[in-house]
Amino acid sequence: MENNNFDENKYGKILEGHENDGIQELDNRMPFWLTFIFIITFVFSVAYLVLYTLPGATTQEDEFAKESAAYDTKYKSTNNSTENFLVLLNDQASINSGKDIYTKSCIACHGALGEGNAVGPNLTDNYWINGGSFESIYNVIKNGKNNTAMMAWGTQMSPKDIQLVSSFIESLKGTNPANAKEAQGELYQE
Amino acid sequence: METQTFFYDNKIVKYFINATLLWAIVGLVAGLFVALQMSFPALNFGLDFTSFGRTRPVHTNAIIFAFVGNGIFTAVYYSLQRLCKARMYSDLLSKLHFWGWQLIIVLAAVTLLAGYTTGKEYAELEWPIDILIALIWVIFGWNMIATILKRRVQHIYVSIWFYLATFITVAVLHIVNSLELPVSFMKSYPVFAGVQDALVQWWYGHNAVAFFLTTPYLGLMYYFLPKAANRPVYSYRLSIVHFWALIFIYIWSGPHHLLYTALPGWAQSLGVVFSVMLIAPSWGGMANGLLTLRGAWDSVRKDPVLKFMVVAVTAYGMSTFEGPMLSLKNVNAFTHYSDWNIAHVHIGGLGWNGFLTFGMLYWLIPKLYNIKLYSVKMANVHFWLGTLGILFYAVPLYASAVLQTLMLNEFTADGFLKYPVFFETFSNLSPMYHARIIGGILYFVGAVLMVYNLIKTAKIGSFVAEEKTSAASLQSTHEHVVKEDWHRVLERKPVRMALLALVLILIGSVFEIIPTSLIKSNIPTISSVKPYSPLELHGRDIYIKNGCSNCHSQMVRPLRAETERYGEYSKAGEFVYDHPFLWGSRRTGPDLARGGVVGSSSYKASVWHFEHMKNPQKMNPASIMPPYPWLLEKDIDLEGTAAIITGMRKLGVPYPENYEATANNDLKIQAQAIVDELKKSNITIDGNKEIIALIAYMHKLGADITTK
Repeated sequence: MENNNFDENKYGKILEGHENDGIQELDNRMPFWLTFIFIITFVFSVAYLVLYTLPGATTQEDEFAKESAAYDTKYKSTNNSTENFLVLLNDQASINSGKDIYTKSCIACHGALGEGNAVGPNLTDNYWINGGSFESIYNVIKNGKNNTAMMAWGTQMSPKDIQLVSSFIESLKGTNPANAKEAQGELYQE
Repeated sequence: METQTFFYDNKIVKYFINATLLWAIVGLVAGLFVALQMSFPALNFGLDFTSFGRTRPVHTNAIIFAFVGNGIFTAVYYSLQRLCKARMYSDLLSKLHFWGWQLIIVLAAVTLLAGYTTGKEYAELEWPIDILIALIWVIFGWNMIATILKRRVQHIYVSIWFYLATFITVAVLHIVNSLELPVSFMKSYPVFAGVQDALVQWWYGHNAVAFFLTTPYLGLMYYFLPKAANRPVYSYRLSIVHFWALIFIYIWSGPHHLLYTALPGWAQSLGVVFSVMLIAPSWGGMANGLLTLRGAWDSVRKDPVLKFMVVAVTAYGMSTFEGPMLSLKNVNAFTHYSDWNIAHVHIGGLGWNGFLTFGMLYWLIPKLYNIKLYSVKMANVHFWLGTLGILFYAVPLYASAVLQTLMLNEFTADGFLKYPVFFETFSNLSPMYHARIIGGILYFVGAVLMVYNLIKTAKIGSFVAEEKTSAASLQSTHEHVVKEDWHRVLERKPVRMALLALVLILIGSVFEIIPTSLIKSNIPTISSVKPYSPLELHGRDIYIKNGCSNCHSQMVRPLRAETERYGEYSKAGEFVYDHPFLWGSRRTGPDLARGGVVGSSSYKASVWHFEHMKNPQKMNPASIMPPYPWLLEKDIDLEGTAAIITGMRKLGVPYPENYEATANNDLKIQAQAIVDELKKSNITIDGNKEIIALIAYMHKLGADITTK
């Protein structure tokens, strides 16, 4: 390189004969820290392959089974006691909480006021496709209805949440909102 | 010593520069547009060719293959001639290469927007364009190697090693990943299915990053950085070690895109460890770049060229540390499918590729036009706009990745997902998405300033198309040096060096791809998994055509938060008929792998799909999905059914003999069932509309192996 004041003592020896379109190369060794990093990553890799890949090593399926078991022990006790929640709640606080859940998850198919739309039926009249008792409403929300748009919310809502939203739906009966969908299903009288 | 006089071809360099500048602007505008669509879904305009599933691949392809591609060729055509002391081998090949590549880009943009796509990321282009790419790439390689062979210097410089490795590896990657069976003009299916297709795709996809975005740009750096700094390269030895280590190790690391998927565990492990081992070879490049600047830091402070290059090399160092960290399975479990990857690739794209290109252009154009840069001040402004742009782009997306993933993984005290509705997790992200747009605008404005600055420079300068130079011929300097070490010898044998590079990149490729394809135990079969029905196949093609996999994954990982949300985790045997695989890589919307499992939270009834495609916000007010009204209007291509069935059978899908003759009967029966179901909800629609096929496909997903 046409670089006459290059300090070889400070920056390294210029390799003889290494000149490419004016670019020279120095005879420096690799930085030691780079070699060090490579050795560490290499050791890590060997250890990793031994721990996670050889026969008998922990697989991702094993990890999942372990995670699932821990999950089940942690939550099982609170998860499956539906009976305790099959009770209609009449207090305003519960109905308001139920409304929040309804607004988040239900209005797409049943309308903001429960009037129903192309997808889901009217929830404000006395006609019910899957039964109009509190228990029927609770169970349809929990388990869904196969081959219809009604999905099972039991995996996404806690029993308490289903109780709240069912209670809110009960509170819609007879509200006669605008644009209500025509009656579907059987007449249900309490 | 015989001295020969000859001319460097600067005109071809100028062509590639102009193309680089043009596609930079186009690619950035496309990027801004898709970023805006994420914030303002109305910008999808309800039209097929302007919706995100089509525009996003246009952005990625424009940046990678148009902007960076032309950047590579600019660097190669300028530096190769000078490093070889030779004019390009053939002006005709140079021109064919240039115009051929630009034609590919235009064809890519048009066909991607029109919905012709293979559905494989960064390899979306359909088979006729694939063939054209292969041809043009060979022309490029031919021209380059022939130039190297007629060089007037003995040893080829490190830049050229990188260029050679780039040519060889990209050729191998492109050809293997494009092995596909055409079923009609502009429609093909890959020969690999499911897990194998995924492995091949990400072997390709990752190494497109390695050998299109990295190795040629390292070659570029090794030429332009010491030139611009006027300093010798820090360490020749380091060049050798990191070059060979980099190309050998890189090729193995593709499976890190498929961690916790149905890919066999051993392949995932190889992806992890080789990614981790990439840190040192990658940082070797960064170190050799930055240490070359020892003693020149004063000029770095003043010279925009060096400023851009320093930030580029630093971004490279950051990206190549981040990448291996993201390849650790426990980190990846958190970051995969999130915005983290989007931020990560933009550190690489905007920082490393963008800034290195800008640095090169600010140095190169004054050189070619024999004049000083029109405005150094403007270039400095560009530098700061660009740097801020990168920060404003990436930092918010890191934040959004963390926020969203934490929400997706959060359980209530009762063990239920805290945010079961997927789009609830988007509720806090809009400030981050807006900030990202600001980042993009800053970066874009900087690039526009650069284009203006460079055009001004060119206007006042005088371009020399044929640059006269002279050098001693190689024959006359053939006094063999007595003792050279092995690598010095190799540098005199470019063909041998290229072959050695080929062998090295084939080792990792063969080791990963062959066993996955041949050893049966890698993909345990599931007898209940049945081929797609004709209607479902059409639905799948419609899914591909509209780019659904740009936002939706079809791969539930064995992680409790995912199985709670989507259902049973995905198994390798489920995908044996999937040509191509459609696992996706970013969940802008929810996973769809269990969309057909009746009673699961992923399952939606026909009427729901119908209403949702027409107007997603009706079913899901927080959704940012664009509407797909044309699915209700366009007809299924019934005439294409026979070709699709025949093609799939050739690829090994067990359809009965002559089934193609009667397939449409089955199709119509299945379609009628959906039409009847919709009728119950007072929806009247023809059975031959695309929406019907798409619903059928949705209801097939994951349904074969699980009940709930």
